[in-house]
Amino acid sequence: MEFVGVNRVYGQVVALDDCYFRLMPGELSFLVGPSGAGKTTLLRLINREIKPSRGEVWVDGLPAHDLPPRRLAELRRKVGVVFQDFKLLPRLTAVENVAFALQVTDLRISDDEAGDRALDALDAVGLHDRAQHYPHQLSGGQQQRVAIARAVVSQPPLLIADEPTGNLDQETAWQIMTLLEDIAKFGTTVLVATHNMEIVNRLQRRVLTLAGGRVVDDQPAGRSAKLVWLTSS
Amino acid sequence: MADLLVGPRPPRWRTIKVVVGNAGRYLFGSALRNWARNLGSTAPALGSMTLLLLLCGLGLVAGVVAQNVAATEARDASVLHLYIRDNAAPDEVDALQMRLRSDSNVARVTFVSKAEALARAQHRPGLPELADAAESNPFPASYDVLVSSVDRVGTVDSRFRHDPAVDPGVPSSYDPNAYRRFQQVLFWTAAIGGAFLLLLGFIAVTVTANSIRAAIISRGDEISIMQLVGAPLWMVRGPFVIEGAMTGAVAGTLAGLLALTVCVVAVQAGAASFAQLTPGLTISLGLTIGLLLVVVGPVLGSLSSLGSVRRYLES
Repeated sequence: MEFVGVNRVYGQVVALDDCYFRLMPGELSFLVGPSGAGKTTLLRLINREIKPSRGEVWVDGLPAHDLPPRRLAELRRKVGVVFQDFKLLPRLTAVENVAFALQVTDLRISDDEAGDRALDALDAVGLHDRAQHYPHQLSGGQQQRVAIARAVVSQPPLLIADEPTGNLDQETAWQIMTLLEDIAKFGTTVLVATHNMEIVNRLQRRVLTLAGGRVVDDQPAGRSAKLVWLTSS
Repeated sequence: MADLLVGPRPPRWRTIKVVVGNAGRYLFGSALRNWARNLGSTAPALGSMTLLLLLCGLGLVAGVVAQNVAATEARDASVLHLYIRDNAAPDEVDALQMRLRSDSNVARVTFVSKAEALARAQHRPGLPELADAAESNPFPASYDVLVSSVDRVGTVDSRFRHDPAVDPGVPSSYDPNAYRRFQQVLFWTAAIGGAFLLLLGFIAVTVTANSIRAAIISRGDEISIMQLVGAPLWMVRGPFVIEGAMTGAVAGTLAGLLALTVCVVAVQAGAASFAQLTPGLTISLGLTIGLLLVVVGPVLGSLSSLGSVRRYLES
């Protein structure tokens, strides 16, 4: 996944300015920065919820910046998305939520196959025994696990997460981050936008720091974050 | 080894069955469930579309009837009745016939005696009473002159109305403005009816589009999730278009049944009365119009939904 000179403006407001970076397969990276720095805008550009005003966004060989609407589905099958508020369908059980994501993207998948694969995904996130529960019967952490299972069930090469631990307590947040680390180990590129600096510092992964719409720091994995955005905000 | 890991490819028929089943469930099942759930908000669209289609159907019926009436009027307008003076000498009457036959604008000349005129009157509403009330036959003999073109009727009339054999009091049936007035009435009726239908069509399409917009808003989460997980565009839009088509199908069926009922009642009323109230209208024509409305309903509904979906569902 690569950003090349990406700029995004909303009217007079510059949300992203001249962003360059590249993420490699199997890499888990954090996107940090103060509120309004452009984190969510950046994630929405990857999934082509919005188009860049200038520059190029490449996802697994697809030009997200220049895709016609009829090819957006192709792009979005390559990008799993996890939100702070989970975005599960309340009328479906956990396993149905995951299977739904599988079947609406590929009608050739039978109910049995979708069910089996959804159960495997739920098993992988430690929720096999909650498969038949509805979202309102699950805790926040469990709902986020279901959302992660849904995001990875079709094995996309890229997973983006927008504040995935924002609604969770610290212990549950750690469980979710461990899960995302495991997903990255299997070759999926994972980009996590977060405010949780404790997690960022302890995991010692690559950290992209955004401030005022610019990537002001790109810290490789294995070093402590310098919290540039805190000093600049 | 690869077979053990991946498994054998399923037979083609099974894949087709799965695809059809899934598409049916996600498109039609979802549309049906949501249509039933949103019936309250769809009701105005259903009502206005039914009204539009019914008026279109009745407009078609009126068009067919008007076309038949116009054809009859044009045929009648081409026939000029030259009334013979009661005391005209036979030579004068024969001479008139000779001159009529030699006129290049006249296609056919038929003599109608006083007795034949009376017999004809017996078959017209209101006239038998008039004939019975009179002591003698009040109807004059005439020449029925079929003029080659309706535009030449005035010329033939002016050429022969002062003939010695023609009654100077009421020389002919010619009314120079009658046919023109009839044409004008037809034109303005069609124009006003068309404008009214266009207005109603606009209202129906707008109301349907708005009801679909409301459905899109109420299912915003589901739609955004479908889009985010990579559901193809047609699968996101499809249920809404089908929902609109279902509204249109119900409206079309209702309008078709109502239009057919009106046709049946009109045909039966015409058959029961002396005068032909709706010339050219038959039960089979009513059936055809009814079926047409049943077909047009879903097309109209799905098109207005598609417009709404394209406008309000961001890709």
